[in-house]
Amino acid sequence: MSIIRTKNLGYKIKIKNDNNEVIGYKNILNDINIDINRGEFVAVLGQNGSGKSTFAKHLNALILPTEGMVLINGEDTSAAEELWKIRRQCGMVFQNPDNQIVGVTVEEDVAFGPENLGVSSQKIVSTVREVLQKVGMTKYATKSPNHLSGGQKQRVAIASSLAMKPECIILDEPTAMLDPKGRREVIEIVRQLNREEHMTIILITHNMEETIFADRIYVMEKGRPVMQGKPRDIFTGFEEIARLKLNPPQITELSYRLYQQHKISRCDILEVQEFVEQYQKDAQSNLQKDIQHNVQNDAAKEMTVSQMGESTDENEILRLEHVSYFYEKGTNMEVAAVSDVSLCIHENEFVGIAGHMGSGKSTLMQLMNGLIRQSSGKIIYKGTDISEKKFDKRKMHFGVGLVFQYPESQLFADTVIEDVMYGPINKGVSGEQARQLAEKALKTMEIEEEYFDKSPFQLSGGEMRRVAIAGVIAMEPDIIILDEPTAGLDPVTRTHLLQTLKRMYEESKKTIVMVSHSMEDIADYAKRIVVMDGGKIRYDDTVGNVFRNRKELEQIGLGVPQVTYAVELLRRTGCIRGGQALTVEEAMQIL
Amino acid sequence: MLRDITVGQYYPSNSVIHQLDPRLKILGTFLYILMLFICGDLISYAISATFLAILIFLAKIPLRYIFRGLRAIFFVLLLSVGLNLFFTEGRVIFRFYFLKITYEGLMKTLILGIRLVFIIIASSLLTLTTTPTNLTDGLERSLHFLHYIKVPVHDIAMMMSIALRFIPILMEETNKIMKAQTARGADFETGGIVRRVRAMIPILVPLFISAFRRANDLAVAMDARCYRGEAGRTKMRPLKYSGKDYGGYLVLILFLGILIMMKTMY
Repeated sequence: MSIIRTKNLGYKIKIKNDNNEVIGYKNILNDINIDINRGEFVAVLGQNGSGKSTFAKHLNALILPTEGMVLINGEDTSAAEELWKIRRQCGMVFQNPDNQIVGVTVEEDVAFGPENLGVSSQKIVSTVREVLQKVGMTKYATKSPNHLSGGQKQRVAIASSLAMKPECIILDEPTAMLDPKGRREVIEIVRQLNREEHMTIILITHNMEETIFADRIYVMEKGRPVMQGKPRDIFTGFEEIARLKLNPPQITELSYRLYQQHKISRCDILEVQEFVEQYQKDAQSNLQKDIQHNVQNDAAKEMTVSQMGESTDENEILRLEHVSYFYEKGTNMEVAAVSDVSLCIHENEFVGIAGHMGSGKSTLMQLMNGLIRQSSGKIIYKGTDISEKKFDKRKMHFGVGLVFQYPESQLFADTVIEDVMYGPINKGVSGEQARQLAEKALKTMEIEEEYFDKSPFQLSGGEMRRVAIAGVIAMEPDIIILDEPTAGLDPVTRTHLLQTLKRMYEESKKTIVMVSHSMEDIADYAKRIVVMDGGKIRYDDTVGNVFRNRKELEQIGLGVPQVTYAVELLRRTGCIRGGQALTVEEAMQIL
Repeated sequence: MLRDITVGQYYPSNSVIHQLDPRLKILGTFLYILMLFICGDLISYAISATFLAILIFLAKIPLRYIFRGLRAIFFVLLLSVGLNLFFTEGRVIFRFYFLKITYEGLMKTLILGIRLVFIIIASSLLTLTTTPTNLTDGLERSLHFLHYIKVPVHDIAMMMSIALRFIPILMEETNKIMKAQTARGADFETGGIVRRVRAMIPILVPLFISAFRRANDLAVAMDARCYRGEAGRTKMRPLKYSGKDYGGYLVLILFLGILIMMKTMY
């Protein structure tokens, strides 16, 4: 029986001019007909602006349709007298973990829903215990949510909607703001609820990898579903996926491309293990004989590993020597956020810094920029020790530009251009010069001139981020450090931003340090990678060399890209003899 | 770490005072302060002091926590005590150039000082022994009668508890924005007052925008979880009086009785 049905669902918003007069309508959703059955796991994929979040809010009667109707358990949401009765049936989990937790402690938050529904106190206590158990958060019942990790907060949010005993749970980009570990936690819980409790799940996301476990996928574009079907069917429609710029999992892309070259017999592959098995099978049936031949070339290539980590001192910009940083120094709560780190950044390098939450990478960034002062060790910027008294710390801020996570949250000025000029003006250049620098920086970040005099708050999320990054570039720093520059962006804006950074590195010869937990991004763009764990540097080498330590990387919660793993597995089983792939392109050459 | 900042100053313990119902503690604190204003003689204050001392002892709270609250009002205390001490007319008992201390001034100062100190200690005791959540709950229930004169007591209590949840988050956010702007060369430490206030704009604007965005998100999340105000709402842990609380009320009445008796006798 269907639990959610939409009939010709449409949603329009009024476009108003400055005098508050309606000058037109904009269609957000168009003619959607969807049927979701009880116990199904449905994923809705789409870029930002495709209408997927608006669609989700319709299912919970947070928004009512302007055309057509939404039926929840046969009841029309527009006709319902009491909306809360509908909302009760469809629990909702939102993107931002902080902004949806109401309670001061975990259990109070979980109790909030049932309290609103007027459930008896005894019943609430037992429900809270039960749902916290389901998401594995019993231990934290009396803790403040502020002390939890992002993944844990989202688990609390899931528990909170479960506590209302809903018929289905709608998750609106629940993992967009999480690190890989948090993502796995949340997706694991969601799958488990679907499998074991037969909970109906509607997962809205722009990350294709999260949808491979769904029973059915809807792909949305411009307010309507353009594709629907089982994950395998959707993923086989590779050209369509590429047109929608959806960033399929690497392994799917690889098998599709191999399939096109007739090197593998099917292309609907979703997981690494599956790929390796298929490839072996096809290799045995001699589908491709020329493999062995290719391998030898690559084995030879592997031998010439460049030694990037130990470059000459001539072009070095920043050097850290045995740097440590302690929080709460001198008390019994002393914690080493960074301990004994030595690191050197050279001119025109693209360095990736990887590490999970709490590995000390944020502290390291702030040390490199002089925002915090090291507890011990030396930091040398262009030959000067920055802890010397006469050294102006602000010079350091201008020399090593630091782009924080979600930098768009620091925009403040009336216009885009003024905001970008803020840094240069603080640096002390004249207004005219500041304007030139700002314009140049905005152009580098590919912001169109017509936006310069607009308010930064009118821009889309991706554009705001570019403006914020331009704000740092405009100070003309020697090094640009970016903390998770792509966090929370959809695939299109994400690729666009990374391409821009790459161009800055290649054409403008900038030095870029990118902190990221996406090993794929680092593999695609950086040459050198620094892996942090527990405040120490575990690896500092070329990406290729570091990725040889797959097991160790997995232990510290990082892992390697899918293609690297797949090629490694094939090599170990003797299917191919050598080679290492960091990107899909490289894997194509090897296989 | 900023995440550890809590509003109020709850001192976790399992003492009998901690276990008392917040409504009793709120009423008790209110009446206690009221009595401090009504009674202005040293004997009543001696009784009040004994009562307070017993409560502190029962609450098992280290004295330094109790007196910490006094630090904040130290200058207010010094100023009001000083003014009263030197500028009250009456029988002069001490003179130093133009400064003089009168007997009346001394008495007035003493009473005023004791009153201020006791008020602070009594209210510290309330916040030290009651969790912020309980305090909010207690206030909501204690002041519920105001709802008959159209004061939205429930809404105010809900706002208080949301503030409790979001203040640490906004503090952390402020810190982050400050760091981000410092990295863009902002300077908050030099210059005159006008310059410093202007330097705050790049912090305040993003902070307000973020606060509004969070408020909006939270409102939607609360809607999604069927929040409809007070109507039909229950509590996971409703406040319930136990034997201890009735005992507490008895002690409170006894204390007030003694004070009133003293007052009428003299």
